[in-house]
Amino acid sequence: MNASLMSLELWVIVLGVVLMLADFLVAPERRRFLAYLAIATLGALLITNLGDATTGTAFHGAFVEDTLAIFFKRFFLIAAMLVLFMSLEFSDRIAGGISEYYSLIAFALSGMLFAASANDFAMLFVSVELITITFYVLTSFQRSRLVSLEAGVKYLILGALSSAFLVFGIALVWGTTGQLNFTELARVAAQFETNKIFLIGVLFVLVGLGFKIAAFPFQIWVPDVYQGAPTPSTAFLAVGSKAAGFVLLLRVLFTALPDVAKHWADLLIVISGITILYGNLCALPQRNLRRLLGYSSISHAGYLLLGVAALSITGQAALLYYLAGYLFTVVAAFLVICVMMRHLDSEDISGLAGLNQRSPLLATTLTLAMVSLAGIPPMAGFFGKFLLLKAVIQQGAINHNHGYYCLAFTALAGVVISLYYYFGVIRAIYWSKNVPDLSPIPLSGSVKFAACVCIAGMFWIGLFPSVVLNLATEAAKALAL
Amino acid sequence: MNVGLEHYLTVSFLLFALGLLGVIMRRNLLVIYMSLELMLNAANLALVSFSRFNNKLDGQVLVFFIITVAAAEVAVGLALIVALYRKRQSAHVEDLTSMKL
Repeated sequence: MNASLMSLELWVIVLGVVLMLADFLVAPERRRFLAYLAIATLGALLITNLGDATTGTAFHGAFVEDTLAIFFKRFFLIAAMLVLFMSLEFSDRIAGGISEYYSLIAFALSGMLFAASANDFAMLFVSVELITITFYVLTSFQRSRLVSLEAGVKYLILGALSSAFLVFGIALVWGTTGQLNFTELARVAAQFETNKIFLIGVLFVLVGLGFKIAAFPFQIWVPDVYQGAPTPSTAFLAVGSKAAGFVLLLRVLFTALPDVAKHWADLLIVISGITILYGNLCALPQRNLRRLLGYSSISHAGYLLLGVAALSITGQAALLYYLAGYLFTVVAAFLVICVMMRHLDSEDISGLAGLNQRSPLLATTLTLAMVSLAGIPPMAGFFGKFLLLKAVIQQGAINHNHGYYCLAFTALAGVVISLYYYFGVIRAIYWSKNVPDLSPIPLSGSVKFAACVCIAGMFWIGLFPSVVLNLATEAAKALAL
Repeated sequence: MNVGLEHYLTVSFLLFALGLLGVIMRRNLLVIYMSLELMLNAANLALVSFSRFNNKLDGQVLVFFIITVAAAEVAVGLALIVALYRKRQSAHVEDLTSMKL
């Protein structure tokens, strides 16, 4: 038992509480600058974490600190810092207390950090709920806007439904096997492979996690919530919540139930393929930028599931690498939308007209983000998709399973379809015919900084993949397949 | 008749199915939310009965976690539904249409 392993989580929770209490102590006009305090704290925690790679378990194996957990913790810290920069820009649009908003981000972050370390179904449930319940509030934070409330209620109903499935699944798995701990469950799971109640339980757990990562057929909430929620919440939802879903999915499938995962390869292949096609096809007619990114996020859940379906260390490493690139790409896109909404009051793609003259930095950021999402070299998205496809085709060659080839083909078709709408956005920026307004958009220092960090991240991960890929491979090895 | 684990599990499955049916069929947000709580309690019943019949306490402990989390969820959820009702003067799912498909 080594509780000092979770000092990072405890510090983040302390930060959340301090931010909430600061609401009483700090004058209202200075409250938005509390974000700098939060960013500085998270930055200090990240630097401490970079130097310290202690591994171990705590609470009888319920909390595990391994390379995978460390990889995801750094990921979540970076995501939260970028989102805080974005919410600094957004702060004047939030009527309620901005310091509450910051503290909710810190609490959601602590949930994600716990999720990265969860090695027990009780831990999994509590961390998932900590993330989800915090996001109910973050999604509906603009109480004066009807769409924000509506997005919050939709997320609430479907989120609660998925947690009900998750809990019932956990109850059935625990009831049949008698184990909550993933490592111990792996030892006994083989003898329950034909037990129907056990398999239903596993299926229900996967339903609950499928909701978090927005895989088909649990993706219905995504477009509405992405469109209605405040932009920084959407960005955090798209990056943090999705990644938390994936780390839990990896742990459940490969640490706890490796044998079930092998038998269900076909199911994973089908879900991954349908998710890719659904996301990309539904994104085609969208004119609302955030809705478009919502559908694009569904399709990316599908690409990421390629790495899960591949059932190999290369596949999992590719998934982690892809997530790292996806972090900077998606935050970049939402950062531009956040600034754009403030100055244009429009989320329509046509609102982007003349952006290259109004603000070259924003235009460059959004263009690079779209190029990376589409998977064009040399951006992060290209190499990630390449690795994922490689892992899937390798697995197909090893297992002689034609499903893997079909999946690779589907993913390629998805990439081709996605070029159309991603380049629709780029075309709107540079080649729009009627440009109503060419006044330059003033950018605050925090936006400039965050945009530069995102661009640098996208290029760095794309051009020098070895550093992140090595980390990802090390992390995937922790999953013991 | 001797009441065994399977009876409790049947009731639990029935409760879960009823809750799911309520979520799908009902049109009032509050009723939907009550049905969701029913589903959570179905899971609690399953956990407690497994716990009782397998002589293991983990399930009972997990139930406490679930009850606590469900309480937090209800607090947030009801606040959200009330806020929406104030804005929209309706708690029906058909009225949640301000975003186009």
